[in-house]
Amino acid sequence: MNSLIIFVLLIALMLTGMPISISLGLTVLTFLFTMTNVPIESVALKLFTGIEKFEIMAIPFFILAGNFLTHGGVARRMIRFATAMVGHWHGGLGLAGVVACALFAAISGSSPATVIAIGSILMPAMINAGFPKRFGAGIITTSGALGILIPPSIVMVMYAVATNTSVGALFLAGVMPGLVLATMLGLTTWWRARKNNYPRLPTASWRERFLAFKDSFWGLFLIVVVMGGIYTGIFTPTEAAAMAAVYAFIVAVFVYKDLSLKKVPKVLLDSANMSAMLLYIITNAVLFSFIMANENIPQHLAQWLLDMGFGSVIFLLAVNLLLLMAGNVMEPSSIVLIMAPILFPVASKLGIDPVHFGIMMTVNMEVGMCHPPVGLNLYVASGITKMGITELTVAVWPWLLTMLVFLVLVTYWPPLSLWLPHAFGMI
Amino acid sequence: MLKMLDHLEEWLIGLLMAAATLLIFVAVVHRYLSGIPWPALQDALLQINLSWAQELCIYMFVWMAKFGAAYGVRTGIHVGVDVLINRLSPARRKYFILFGLLAGALFTGTVAALGAHFVWAIGHTEQTSADLELPMWMVYLAIPCGSSLMCFRFLQVAASFLKTGNLPHHDHGHVEGIEDPVDIAPYNLDDNLHPHTNGKGGAK
Amino acid sequence: DQPIIIKFSHVVAVDTPKGKAAVYFKRLAEEKTKGRVRVEVYPNSQLYKDKEELEALQLGSVQMLAPSLAKFGPLGAKEFEVFDLPYLFDDYAALHRVTEGAIGQGLLKKLDSKGIVGLAFWDNGFKQMSANKPLHMPADFRGLKLRIQSSKVLDAQMRALGATPQVMAFSEVYQALQTGVVDGTENPASNFYTQKMHEVQKYLILSDHGYLGYAVIVNKQFWEELPPDIRAQLQDAMKDATRYANAIAAVENSTALEAVRKSGKTQVIVLMPEEKKAWKKALIKVHQDSGSRVGKDLLQSIYKETGFNPAKL
Ligand code: NA
Ligand code: NA
Repeated sequence: MNSLIIFVLLIALMLTGMPISISLGLTVLTFLFTMTNVPIESVALKLFTGIEKFEIMAIPFFILAGNFLTHGGVARRMIRFATAMVGHWHGGLGLAGVVACALFAAISGSSPATVIAIGSILMPAMINAGFPKRFGAGIITTSGALGILIPPSIVMVMYAVATNTSVGALFLAGVMPGLVLATMLGLTTWWRARKNNYPRLPTASWRERFLAFKDSFWGLFLIVVVMGGIYTGIFTPTEAAAMAAVYAFIVAVFVYKDLSLKKVPKVLLDSANMSAMLLYIITNAVLFSFIMANENIPQHLAQWLLDMGFGSVIFLLAVNLLLLMAGNVMEPSSIVLIMAPILFPVASKLGIDPVHFGIMMTVNMEVGMCHPPVGLNLYVASGITKMGITELTVAVWPWLLTMLVFLVLVTYWPPLSLWLPHAFGMI
Repeated sequence: MLKMLDHLEEWLIGLLMAAATLLIFVAVVHRYLSGIPWPALQDALLQINLSWAQELCIYMFVWMAKFGAAYGVRTGIHVGVDVLINRLSPARRKYFILFGLLAGALFTGTVAALGAHFVWAIGHTEQTSADLELPMWMVYLAIPCGSSLMCFRFLQVAASFLKTGNLPHHDHGHVEGIEDPVDIAPYNLDDNLHPHTNGKGGAK
Repeated sequence: DQPIIIKFSHVVAVDTPKGKAAVYFKRLAEEKTKGRVRVEVYPNSQLYKDKEELEALQLGSVQMLAPSLAKFGPLGAKEFEVFDLPYLFDDYAALHRVTEGAIGQGLLKKLDSKGIVGLAFWDNGFKQMSANKPLHMPADFRGLKLRIQSSKVLDAQMRALGATPQVMAFSEVYQALQTGVVDGTENPASNFYTQKMHEVQKYLILSDHGYLGYAVIVNKQFWEELPPDIRAQLQDAMKDATRYANAIAAVENSTALEAVRKSGKTQVIVLMPEEKKAWKKALIKVHQDSGSRVGKDLLQSIYKETGFNPAKL
């Protein structure tokens, strides 16, 4: 009964359009005031301690690093490199876009940031080269979603925080699925381009390829810094994020010089702004999951599902549907932070690996970002291409369908996610 | 006066962001170098105690988050489920927007009061943080201060919305995209995560 | 009528010594009070995390906790940091003379002014050092990065050995050891084994250099408002639970040590008497430096109780 009241209140408040963080907080306050004898001061305590955890600090660090990269000319050089490597195949620039997104995803923790970084440079180039706008928009919107699947990933940090899973293991688990999805999106691009006979670029010489590689080296090297640094034990994932921010700052300001020192305070402020928004959702979500734990809701849900005799196959199907539905109205961090604490105990009772479950949630979030009415990637792409949302929705469907096929693969074939972390002895 | 508060807020969160990053950078470099067996350097480095770096970083980010959340109200960055209300007529939508802003003020105001009470209680104990041994009431002061400022920002935005009908985030100028491509702020578009104040935007 | 509910929250898994003892106490308490008290155990930081549980107890959000002794220093009871001092107790007998005697009672009394009543001390065990190289003499520690939990005394202990202490959450330790972010750590054998650290550490050194324990505490106001007969029954239950907790901790530590040996992945090193003496000599500095923090009188009275004489090293 109590759980019903909590959820009805939360959903009602959310639908009025107030910030999600506020609706979470108000639900908890109302509930505490009227239905429990939990002292109300614990709200103030939880609002502080909710983010008093070093692992969470990876989020502001990765956002800062991402902003330096976006402003720092790294994306431009990665696109040049990708174009030199795959531009001569069917799909040309489009295929290069998929590769560039995958590369940028390996240094950025956010999907919309990947769409902006690659899309804002690639889209004009593709239109100039004679590609239909729709084709480019479809590629960028969906390939940009790789930003949260290929490590580093802010969404994975959120999941790790909500479920006490290891960030390092999740990052490693995202590598194979990320590469597979990038390949599948590339194949879709290649197939569409061949069917419609879209332009291809002349084959680049090896010298050109080498030059493009050399020019983009400092950006690409960040992949080595982050992943290499974590897995050779120089630093923890959180520290890696701080190192990435400093590295990206140096590359943007002193190596590529695409960002002037004068603009650095603005980058800091923008990063603080977005980090604070996400951290505010986290604190309120922690507060909310505290109330649920206090009422034993996840345990009851788990017990109920077990009593009903649902196996993991049905459960995973239901989770996917639930998450895809949530993806219609909410953005990924809120979904993960609200849903993971509820679903996770059930998943672990059913014997589902926490890392596999996290990767599956992440892929769900990717899909959600690419379709309306709420889809951050879609809106960012719309900002870049000046296309309406309806037109964009039509444009993304071949790639979105590919992503859904991939979601089924990730859900029901755990080794895809778990093989690499097992091989490294991480889990 | 208000301008000064705005600037102070911006400076504070920007500085905290930069300082925390540098701090962890230095701590990691220090730890790495002090593991290398170069006798003279190692001796010098082992003398330096940076055990407090993590704790300070956490506290700086918590303060950044609390004041940044207030700044976020001013820039309209907080995301909501706006799909439904964006489909309403502007006249009706107005009430929901106003309701949301006042709800924000109610929540943050309540938290500010609870937080002040909590800080007061902690202030009468001898609790300190584990590494820096800062008095905990000073650390927790972020809650009442940040939350009061946030409450004030919600009221400020509500007042200006009543007067002008505009919300802070609807700054379409920078979606001019291609020329200055990187200035598109995600979470700052007509994305159904924020209420539309005019007819334009996502839900077509 | 409605039973009195005690929310007992802790931050470790159900199958650890503390987790088992909490469940044992729940059963005893409910039996002895004939159901007038219901104890709800919340393991695994479900309700409150390490850093917030003490404040939550003081606020009355939760009634019973068993935090590790290192947590009381930040609360303002610096005396509790004495338990972090290396080589303060030679064995369990010496330790229990302190915790179950007048000194232990005196320490628990110090919590009164914080709105807390201390009921008992529960053992986790003596700590062993672990690393990827054999640590025989203090000189072997030079430049190593060793994980500790946040504590001034432990920080000073690692520095006294020439190592760099690194504060790190328990949940991160396995991976940090696996990748080499830190080179080693200190743990009672049972924690070492249940966290699978034998998979990522080459050597476990039986140093017994420090003690890890918990204090079971309740919110003072809640405790004093209980009917006297119930309070007595709960105290009775706590006495039995403490005996159970300490016994099970000792058993788990020795079976864990056997399991580590059997796994063949970690070599167990027994220190020679002169090696152990060298460790003690290097670490006695911590007693001297931290003496004023924890209180010289307290330290002297413990020395007297256990018969330890730092001058004889
Ligand atoms: Na990424
Ligand atoms: Na969506």
